Amino acid sequence: MTNPLPLVVENLTFRYRDRQETAIRDISFSANPGEILLVAGASGCGKTTLIRCINGLIPRSYKGEVTGRVLVYGEEPQTWPLSRISQKIGTVLQDPERQILGTKVLNEVAFGLENLGLPRAEIYQRADDAMRFLNILHLRERETFNLSGGEKQKVALAGVLAMRPSILLLDEPLASLDPASALETLSMVRMLADEGMSVVMIEHRVEDVMKVNPERVMFMTEGEVRYLGPLDGLSKVVNYHEVKLPAEVIIARAAQDPPPVEIDVLPGRAGAGPESEPLVRFEDVAFGYDRDVEVLHGINLDIRRGDVVAVLGPNGAGKTTFVKHAIGLLKPKSGRVLVNGQDTKDASVAEIASTLGYVFQSPSHMLFAQTVYDELAFGPKNLKHSPEEIEKEVKEALETVNLEEREQDPPLALSFGQQKRVSIAAILAMRSRILVMDEPTAGQDYQNYMSFMDSILQMPGFESILFITHDVDMAVIYANRVILVANGRIEADGKPHEVLSDLDLLKACRVVPTTLLAANLERLPLTGRFMRAEALAHVS
Amino acid sequence: MLVTWRYRKRRSLIQWFDPRAWIIFYSCFLFATLFFWDVRFLVPLMLIAIVVLLTSGIKWHEIRRAFLFIGAFVFFFAFLTFLTGRGGMEVYDEEHLIRSLQAPFTIFGWQPTLEVTVERSFFALSQLVRVFSIAVMTILIPYSLNPSYYGVTFRGLGLPDKIAYAMDLTMRFIPTFGRDFQLTMDAQRARGYELEKIRGGLIEQVRKLGPLMVPVIIHAIIGSEDIIDAMDLRAFGIGPRTWLQELHYELKDRLLIAFGILMLVGALVIVFMGYGGFWVPESLIRMAGG
Repeated sequence: MTNPLPLVVENLTFRYRDRQETAIRDISFSANPGEILLVAGASGCGKTTLIRCINGLIPRSYKGEVTGRVLVYGEEPQTWPLSRISQKIGTVLQDPERQILGTKVLNEVAFGLENLGLPRAEIYQRADDAMRFLNILHLRERETFNLSGGEKQKVALAGVLAMRPSILLLDEPLASLDPASALETLSMVRMLADEGMSVVMIEHRVEDVMKVNPERVMFMTEGEVRYLGPLDGLSKVVNYHEVKLPAEVIIARAAQDPPPVEIDVLPGRAGAGPESEPLVRFEDVAFGYDRDVEVLHGINLDIRRGDVVAVLGPNGAGKTTFVKHAIGLLKPKSGRVLVNGQDTKDASVAEIASTLGYVFQSPSHMLFAQTVYDELAFGPKNLKHSPEEIEKEVKEALETVNLEEREQDPPLALSFGQQKRVSIAAILAMRSRILVMDEPTAGQDYQNYMSFMDSILQMPGFESILFITHDVDMAVIYANRVILVANGRIEADGKPHEVLSDLDLLKACRVVPTTLLAANLERLPLTGRFMRAEALAHVS
Repeated sequence: MLVTWRYRKRRSLIQWFDPRAWIIFYSCFLFATLFFWDVRFLVPLMLIAIVVLLTSGIKWHEIRRAFLFIGAFVFFFAFLTFLTGRGGMEVYDEEHLIRSLQAPFTIFGWQPTLEVTVERSFFALSQLVRVFSIAVMTILIPYSLNPSYYGVTFRGLGLPDKIAYAMDLTMRFIPTFGRDFQLTMDAQRARGYELEKIRGGLIEQVRKLGPLMVPVIIHAIIGSEDIIDAMDLRAFGIGPRTWLQELHYELKDRLLIAFGILMLVGALVIVFMGYGGFWVPESLIRMAGG
């Protein structure tokens, strides 16, 4: 008899106890040793449920109705004790921040081994081995809270590897990483697979994962498998709007479709006033959270009417710190920031908010009200608008984000994408003229975030938009100005095709070029500006 | 960084000892202090607290905020006791007037009068010394005990694995919680929310904290699901666990524990013998004409 495969899933269907519909239906696949199986699909397609069925959280922690079965080395893991499952199947969850349990890196990596009650000498040995393998031994004595996102991800991975599993499940491991850190994590996963581990990786950043050549890809929609096979077959089955494919593949496919409609960027900027007057001005701004460590140095710039600015740079470069100065949440240590000609030191955040609206990365950090209406009325009320004005502002904001029917629903019960739109509408209702967004695409899948960005840029009412991102493609497609931030300095500031054509500078700033950037640079003599892949398909 | 641990490795008396020994000593100190109202016994205890503070190796700028906050609190309540004479009635029955201060004005016919008595003054002083000693010893703990040792310390003191690990988890997630709080605070301030301007009755005030509290609590609840999953997936709670950090008692630790217990037992004996209750110097009473 041949050795059974590490993982076999047969006709698996699951329905959560408190829901009507099944989360996944009739899923069958197997994973071979030494293979990376990429599981892709839009948010809510059942990817996370699938992982929970494999690692035993279903039915242990999440109750519901299961049919079909999961076999690990020919046995059903549901019957195993947790200690055995944890040594066969390792799971890295989506948010490393929430799964790191130790205050110190060493304690975190050793956590599982401590729970197994192993002798101390063995724990030290295995924890050190895992850290050495991932090249993070230098972090051993550090506090986990102060690590960067990429480092946290590696520490979480080390904690799982120390248990020496033979199957590794990764649930969107790249979600919180900048492209440079994502690439490092991916190459480590490749290395693990090459050593014989079976890796099942959920990720919708398909284009990024392609760089490490996953053996097979499984594409899911609405709880079912739509495609399972080698990577190059994927682009034939899926719509290029659903999954982010390499630019050249999109260009080839889009050439057969009619050209995309050009979006009308910032319709609100016209007639608002002369473009020469800066809305926001930074004069020699420096800042540090601690007394002796400076995180921003000598920032000088103007933001004008009509600017769509992408602030690009790796995690920890100072992007968020920089943007928080514009809204007065932070005041400069030296230099000054002027909003509408007024020094932010002399203005309260509330006063600035009527000019400049800031949308945070995660909508759940701000949503609190019982209805969407109350949520949107919160800002204007704080700004002391009259009740009649507020009603008008809320209605218009709801209309702009297409949530009129949701007016009386609790915002926390909405889907993530809808919550994101509520958070934008909350800013719209305050009649802020400049929209500032921190990582607007985070937590959304490709199709969702593209349509989200399209609709924001076309919203009336904003005179300028500024967004922080680490995705070069967002800058390529949507910005008319790119500010490159690294190590607390502005390294470059200009038109996207000027800033992003300096590939050496990008590399020095840990910004990873994409296939779309390459395709655009190649066609720049013809186009004279950057555009999305669908539009490039019609350039000749 | 918005939230950082106050703990640093320092050359200090506290850190010279095993954390378990220090916690035992601290508990003995706490109870011994709570037994007394007599300043003559409280002062030596305060001296111990001051020695520990001066040898803690903590710089003033690190501890300033905590001290000002708690200091203001302690003084405020001691002063309140002094003004109203409340709280002391249980420990003394007779008061000896030093001076009666009458306000040169009346409020709706009531003339505020401050009766300065020997007992009141001394009670306020005792309260000040008592609370100050306890506060000093307590403030020093987060600055001096390594946060990654809390779990193993309490395990070593005999608590079960799960409860001891809960200590570690708390230490781990306090900064995360703090960061979430700061993020929500910033997000709401960006919508014109001003915490400083909250007014109204208690219920109204709590209601106005909603924009801050709701997102933070929801986040904590959602986050805890991930935390539980992460713990389950790495076999937490399946049996007795190994604690990686090892703690060993040395002679000095045993001596510290012995000293702590002696102090506590001594306090108990003194109290049972009928001493240590509220005390005022005879000379003062005589001065007041008693």
